[in-house]
Amino acid sequence: MALNPMALDLSGKKYANVAYEEKERLFDEVKADDRWHHVLYGCYECGICVAACPSARFYDFSPRVIAQAAAREDVDLMYTLMNDSVWDCSQCFSCDRCPRQNSPGQIITIMREVAVKNGLKTAKEALEGYGRIIYKIMSTGSQVSPDMLQPNAFPDWGGHVKEISDNLDVWRKALPPETLHTTETGWKITDKTIVELYLIWHMTGVMKLIEGVDEGLFMILVDVMEERLEEAGYDDISFD
Amino acid sequence: MASENILVIGGGPTGMEAARGIASIGYKVTIVEKRDRLGGTPDASQYAALTPDMRSAEEAIGEMVDAITNSPNVTLMFNTEVIGSSGSVGNFKVKANQGGKEVTIDAGSVIICTGFTHFDPGRETQKYGYYEHDDVITLVDAEKMFKSGNFVRPSNGEKPKSVCFIQCVGSRDRQIGNEYCSKVCCGISSKQAIEVRQHVPDCKVFIFYIDMRMYGYWENEIYWPAQEKYKVNYVKGIATEIVKKGDRLLVKGEDTTMRRPLEIPMDIVILAVGMEPSEGTKKVADIFGVKKNKFGFIETIGGALNTVSTDVPGVFAAGAATGPADLEDCVSSAGAAAMKAIASLRTVAIPA
Repeated sequence: MALNPMALDLSGKKYANVAYEEKERLFDEVKADDRWHHVLYGCYECGICVAACPSARFYDFSPRVIAQAAAREDVDLMYTLMNDSVWDCSQCFSCDRCPRQNSPGQIITIMREVAVKNGLKTAKEALEGYGRIIYKIMSTGSQVSPDMLQPNAFPDWGGHVKEISDNLDVWRKALPPETLHTTETGWKITDKTIVELYLIWHMTGVMKLIEGVDEGLFMILVDVMEERLEEAGYDDISFD
Repeated sequence: MASENILVIGGGPTGMEAARGIASIGYKVTIVEKRDRLGGTPDASQYAALTPDMRSAEEAIGEMVDAITNSPNVTLMFNTEVIGSSGSVGNFKVKANQGGKEVTIDAGSVIICTGFTHFDPGRETQKYGYYEHDDVITLVDAEKMFKSGNFVRPSNGEKPKSVCFIQCVGSRDRQIGNEYCSKVCCGISSKQAIEVRQHVPDCKVFIFYIDMRMYGYWENEIYWPAQEKYKVNYVKGIATEIVKKGDRLLVKGEDTTMRRPLEIPMDIVILAVGMEPSEGTKKVADIFGVKKNKFGFIETIGGALNTVSTDVPGVFAAGAATGPADLEDCVSSAGAAAMKAIASLRTVAIPA
């Protein structure tokens, strides 16, 4: 193991500088989640989840170790995994084939949420690269949009990409559903929808989550959202 | 002159069930028991609760005792040991020592129900130190503590903070000579692990194992609850030694699936000792000239289809005298042996 610098440290001693009580507090938060008792039973340590896991082919990542540490209530190791392992999961839930009906993927979902809510440094680092995507989704309500189809971004798609992107507006208008006559968003998102989305993200605490991980992104989003909400008559909404 | 009496040797669960079966069909049966009472090992070793249903052993065994105690077809001979035998199927003359007095019992057929003995951990080849550390005990010792309702560290009478079980002590071990699995220890350890958590809820409980072997309903009735409800920590890896550290025990092993060495301080270590043939089983097998296997258990000759016939016509064996067995096995094979013992006797009794 020591030969591989990327290897996951299973000793449970990696974060010896973090107080046991703090690790325990985070694990208790994970266990307190309503979903917990439906995603973890006991672990046979059989590895069926690892065998099905695409991430395990590329990283020293093991859904088995996640379920195992959780079932054993190994507080130190759970902390290591919450920092060093949960972001290697692609959340495809191929692991949902466990004979005990554990769902390592969903255990990870909960662990990620706790990591984000508590602003763990590793969570911030892991999510850094997703700022642009989150900005697009949360400001427009859709992620992939036609104007992302740039010839230099997709050279392998062939010469006609340039032709299409030059006349994107026309091509889109040729599509029968009127809702697809857009270029900056995947489909036409009505004012009512976007305002509702902003309100949902505000009221469910999503904005607070983002503030904990990426303050810069949070501030840009707040600018966009506050203006639009004010226009819609929600001038008493505060993101502070 | 053929005898219509069937001799059952051993008054444990197997012997009692065989006798009950024979008597209920209307045949005469004599139980020879070397102790002064019925009940066998569950009674002698003071088992607390049965696996897997946690039923009181005393109550269950008591029920078996009651079923034969006043039966007109059952003769009970206590403080009695078989010392010799002559004759053959239909007409055995079995010599026994009854409290110092030699007696002869006529029997048409014989069922050997002499059971097992718990493996003596003094013979293990690792370094667990059963006779060295007060807090290293066996499943049998733990059972006594559960029965008394007082599960504490033998060394100081305090409640334990951490307890572990070490599986396969004396079983599945070529060095010791017991290559077989003792069948019941995984289930009993898991049952006891639950009991530890019930007695001392804040105590951490570990089970160090090679494979967990809980077939059939033992899986969902003991293993899963132990792990899921009682948070018993199952670690695949067998401890290599136990050393004293302060007033606690340091258990050294490997957490194999986690790829890491393991050293955990424990307050009580429970050795999951397996089964070996009892002295009585080996002795009685020799008296009747019945073949034993290389472990000393009585060898039955019918494979999976006949688990009670021996190589001597008219002599049958059942329960843990033939190999590791749980209570279900014992009671089932006792019934099969009772039927075959009666059948062999009838075959002989019908005049040619």
